[in-house]
Amino acid sequence: MAWEYSEKTKQLFMDAVHGKPGTHLGEIEEPDGLGEHGSIACGDAMRFTFRVRRDPDDPTKDVITDARYLTFGCTSAIAASEALCAIIEKGCYTPIEALKITNQDIVDFLEGLPSQKIHCSVMGAEALEAAVFNWAQRRGVDLRELGVDIHADEQEEGRIVCKCFSLTEPYLRRKIEELGLRTIPEISGALKAGGACMSCHHTPGGLQDLLDDIWGKDVTQLPILSNYAMPSDTEVPGAAEAAEVSPGVSPYQFSKHVESVIEHYARPTLQKDGGDVEIVDIKGALVYCRFTGACAGCHAAAQTLKLLVEGPLKEHVDERIRVIQV
Amino acid sequence: MKIVYADNNATTAVAPEVLEAMLPFFKQQYFNPSSMYEPARAVAHALSAARGQIAEHLGGVDPKEVLFTSCATESNNTALRGVIEAQPRRRHVVTTTVEHPAVLGVCQDLERRGCEVTFLPVDRQGNLDTGKFIRALRPDTALVSIMHANNETGVVFPVAELARITKETDEQIIFHTDATQSLGKLPIDLTGEFRHVDLLSFSGHKLHAPKGVGGLFIRRGTCCRPLMIGGHQEDGRRAGTENVALIVGMARAVALAAEKHDEDTARITALRDRLEVGLMERIPYLEINGRGAVRLPGTSNLACHYIEGEGMLFELSAEGICASSGSACTSGSLEPSHVLRALGVPFTAVQGSVRFSLSRYNTDEDVDRIVDVFPAVVERLRRASPYWDPAKGEPRADVEMLFGKKGLKNTK
Repeated sequence: MAWEYSEKTKQLFMDAVHGKPGTHLGEIEEPDGLGEHGSIACGDAMRFTFRVRRDPDDPTKDVITDARYLTFGCTSAIAASEALCAIIEKGCYTPIEALKITNQDIVDFLEGLPSQKIHCSVMGAEALEAAVFNWAQRRGVDLRELGVDIHADEQEEGRIVCKCFSLTEPYLRRKIEELGLRTIPEISGALKAGGACMSCHHTPGGLQDLLDDIWGKDVTQLPILSNYAMPSDTEVPGAAEAAEVSPGVSPYQFSKHVESVIEHYARPTLQKDGGDVEIVDIKGALVYCRFTGACAGCHAAAQTLKLLVEGPLKEHVDERIRVIQV
Repeated sequence: MKIVYADNNATTAVAPEVLEAMLPFFKQQYFNPSSMYEPARAVAHALSAARGQIAEHLGGVDPKEVLFTSCATESNNTALRGVIEAQPRRRHVVTTTVEHPAVLGVCQDLERRGCEVTFLPVDRQGNLDTGKFIRALRPDTALVSIMHANNETGVVFPVAELARITKETDEQIIFHTDATQSLGKLPIDLTGEFRHVDLLSFSGHKLHAPKGVGGLFIRRGTCCRPLMIGGHQEDGRRAGTENVALIVGMARAVALAAEKHDEDTARITALRDRLEVGLMERIPYLEINGRGAVRLPGTSNLACHYIEGEGMLFELSAEGICASSGSACTSGSLEPSHVLRALGVPFTAVQGSVRFSLSRYNTDEDVDRIVDVFPAVVERLRRASPYWDPAKGEPRADVEMLFGKKGLKNTK
C-alpha cells in the first residue's frame, strides 16, 4: 500500500525528524502539563508536555507558550504530533481553551489523513487532554467545577470490549459519539478498536452492539447468513488402524517395551561408535527415531536404523513396527 | 536520484533476457495455442517447450506434471482446495503459523468449511519442531502444506525431510509446499531429494519474470480437483487460455536462475552478510530475525527496538531506498506481521521490523548506500521516540512505569 499522505503531512514529518528550527520534537523538563497516550505494544505512543506563562492571580488564565512531544509511531503519528504543537502554540490558548482542539482540527491542519490513519490524530487529542488534566492537578484547578467533563478513570473501570488494544466500553461509547463513528471500519480507523483480531466485532456487547445501541439498529446492515458451515464426514477410515497395535497393551506399556528393546539391542552397539538414538515419537506401529552423536548425519544411518533398531523391534515387540528416521 | 531496490521478496525486476524471450509473443506470435491453423502451431510449440524447460529444472519431472497458473496464490488455492475436495473422507490439514496469507487464508476458509487445521508454531529463530510435526499427523490428515522458504524472514524449512516423514507415516497424506520464494534460489529436485513432495507452488515474478504467471507441480497420481473449470486447457486441470508470453518468460527466468545459480548465490550471500555486519556495527539494539536458522541468501529481516517501521520506510524511500516492514501501519490491518509474532519477537521491536531483500541486480554500492543511510534514519526516529534516551543511547529506564507494559494507560 503506497503512501497516501498529503504533502503537508510528509513535510511536517520530515521537518520534525530532521530537527528543522521551529519544530516541536522533544520534551520540556519540569513541564506544567504532561500527558501520554498509547503504548509500544499497540503500535503508537505519544508523550506530550507543555509550559505555561503563569497568571499570578488566576491559574485558569495561564497561557500555553511551549509544547513538545516524543512519539513512537508511523509517519502520520509524528506529523499529527507536530501539528498539535503548532496549533497550540499559534493559538496562545489557555489549557482549558486547548481542550477544545479536536482530532478533526489536527486532520484539517494536516490537510487530510487516510481513513485508516485517523487514530494518529485521535492520539494527539487524547495526549493533550491528559496533559491538561495533569496541569489542572498541579495548579490546583478543579476542572469539574468549571464544567469540564474529565471522564475520570474510565480506562481503569469498565468492561474491556477490544482486548487487543485494551479499550473499555465507557471510553468507546464516548469516542463513538464524539467522533460520530457509524461503522466498525470507522471505529477501527479512528480508535484502533477491533482492528487487530476482530473478534469483538459481532460478539454480544461487541462493537456492533455498541453502534446499534448508540445510533439505533440499522436493519439494512444485518449480517448475511453464511453458508459456509458444511456437514463434516465424521467417519474416518484409518482411525482404527492406528488405535491398537497390540490389543491389551496400553500405549505407555508399548512405548516402554520399545524403549527397552532399543536399550538392550541397539544402544550398546551405537554407543561403542560414539553415537546414540532417541525416540522422538511413537504413533501406532510407527516409531520415529533420531540419531545423535557420531551417528547423526552418518551416510549409512538409514541402513543402520533398519538393521539395528527396526529388526529387533519387529522381532521382539511387533512385526508390524516400522521405524522412521527423523 | 538512483533507486536502490532492496525489496526483491515482494517482486523483482524483469530480466532483459526474459523480456527478449517474451516479445515475439506480444507481436507476431499472438495466436491461441489451442487453434488448429498452421501459425498457431509455433505458439503451441513454444508453450510445450516452456513446460519442458521448467519440468527439466524441477529435477526432470514429466512436463505433464507442470501446470501453469496466474500466480502462486492461485497455485496455492488450487492445491489446498483441490486436495481437500478430492478427499472427502479426510478432514484434517497440517500447516504452520508462518505461511504466506495465500496458504493461511485458504486454511482458515477450510476450517469454516468443516476441516480441522493444525497450525504448527515456530521457535524464536523461526524453526519448526519435528516432534511437534510428527505428533500433528493423524489418521484423518488429508494434507500437509509447509512452505519451503519464508517470505518475511527467509528461514528455510527442511521440506524434503518433512515430506519423507509424512509419506513414511501415511502414503495417503498429500504433501504440498509453497516454493514461491525459493525456486531458482535453492535446489529443488522433485525426482531426488524432493521426491516425496506431491504438490509445489511457484511464481514467476519472484525470479525476474513478470507478474501474472505462476505454476503448480502436481505429481502424477495425486488427486487434486481443478479450481478453474470450463475449458480443456492444461488437460482440463486449469481452464483458460494459456498466457503464452508470460509462461515463456517464466521458463526463460527459471533457466537463467539455474545458469547463474552458483555465481548469484555466492554474490548475494556476500552482499547480505556485508549489509548485516555493517548495520549491526552501527546500530545498537538491532536484531536479525531468524539469524540462527538456515536462511535464503538474499533476505535480511531486522528488528529495530523502540521505533516503528513505517516511518523508517518513509525516510528510506525519501533517500531512494525501497524496503518493506512488518509493522502494523504497513500491514493494512492494525496488527504487526503474523510471522514476527509467531517468532516471538519482543513487543519493543515487533513494530520496528525492516526487511531488505536482495537480487542478482544489487551491487556493493547498493549495500553501502543502505549501510550509510539507515543508521541515521534509526537514530532520528529514536530521538523522536518516548522510549529512547538519546543522551545515553539506550532505552529510557522509566519506560514501563510510564506507559505500562500493555494496553492503554493514561496519566490522567
